Amino acid sequence: MHEAVYEVFARKERGEPLRHIGYIDAIDDALARVYAWKTYDEERWFEMCVVPRSSIIPVNRTDGPFAAAAPREERP
Amino acid sequence: MAPFTEDELKAKVHEGFIVESVEEMTEGYRKSLVVQLTVQADTELMSAPAYWMAARYAPSTNTQVSAHAIIQDELAHANIAYRLLEDIGESKEQLVYGREPHEFKHPYGFDQPLDNWADLVVATGFFDRAGITLLTDVHENTSYGPLKRALIKIGMEETFHLRHGEVWMKRLSNAGGEVREMLQRSVDWMFPMTLEWFGLPDDMKRHTGQLDYKLKGLTNDQLRQVWMSATVPLCESLGLNVPAHYDESAEHYVLDYPFPCQYDALEKHWFFEDGEISWDTVFKRWKARGPMNQRYVESIRRSRGQVAKWLTAA
Repeated sequence: MHEAVYEVFARKERGEPLRHIGYIDAIDDALARVYAWKTYDEERWFEMCVVPRSSIIPVNRTDGPFAAAAPREERP
Repeated sequence: MAPFTEDELKAKVHEGFIVESVEEMTEGYRKSLVVQLTVQADTELMSAPAYWMAARYAPSTNTQVSAHAIIQDELAHANIAYRLLEDIGESKEQLVYGREPHEFKHPYGFDQPLDNWADLVVATGFFDRAGITLLTDVHENTSYGPLKRALIKIGMEETFHLRHGEVWMKRLSNAGGEVREMLQRSVDWMFPMTLEWFGLPDDMKRHTGQLDYKLKGLTNDQLRQVWMSATVPLCESLGLNVPAHYDESAEHYVLDYPFPCQYDALEKHWFFEDGEISWDTVFKRWKARGPMNQRYVESIRRSRGQVAKWLTAA
């Protein structure tokens, strides 16, 4: 069972910025949605979405959890 | 290679530097953080089967729901802490499924059976208060950015667990009679159990690096005082006896029993009468683990292998 990491973003109210609120591991997008909604249930979110971590492309940093998705030529 | 030496990083975090990635850590920092997060994750994880087996004593469907809501939160918190560990190079798979039950690092209190509704109520009142005490300190002081952010959600939910515990302690206490005696019996074993959880007194504390790397702010004795400053007045207001009191002249809480002392896990009895024992004896008891250790760990992962086999076969 290979699980991928998904980053979870949400906003509480209309007009608020979307914030990074956490992450979950899931074997596919459908389960990622369920796990995110069930795990981060501390608020009644106006909006929540999940993004596979591997889809996040860092712009100015080469360290941290998103570094694996850096453009190939910049990878260490 | 870390961009800082150990001494440089220790100095920087005390000036307010927030560490954001594993690449910025020294090996000493990473190791201390791994220990801290493993204890946190294991504690959240093992609270789930302990509470789950006790939830069957819930007196109504409503209380079943709130007990299971607490269990769900604890599992989510565990999951978040193991995910944080993955991002600094540890394996969640190995930590959850690859260790022997006695290798988990949760406190001895979560190796104990919760045998009735009063035990569960006092566990959420005392153990979750200990959790909040420890994690609030981490949230306010940690130099690790991802952990600081993750603790916002965790703190909100632990506060709900605590409220659940305290409201129910009041209700059982007001009921009087046998119910109140049962509550007192839960308090009797869990009060010293929670105080022991905070670990070695400061004058014996070995060097761990957690304060040096600013992974926490308060010492063990300070945290014990914070916990008592909430718990002792609560119990006193409910007319429950606890072996500690506030000393006006010393301006802190003092214990009215030999600390640490020996415990009979099967009888749930502390041997106050036998006097103080060494911390080495306590560590030996902790290392041997308590009566529910294997069952709790197995209940978390019993279906793992079977389902994995089905999915690979499919």
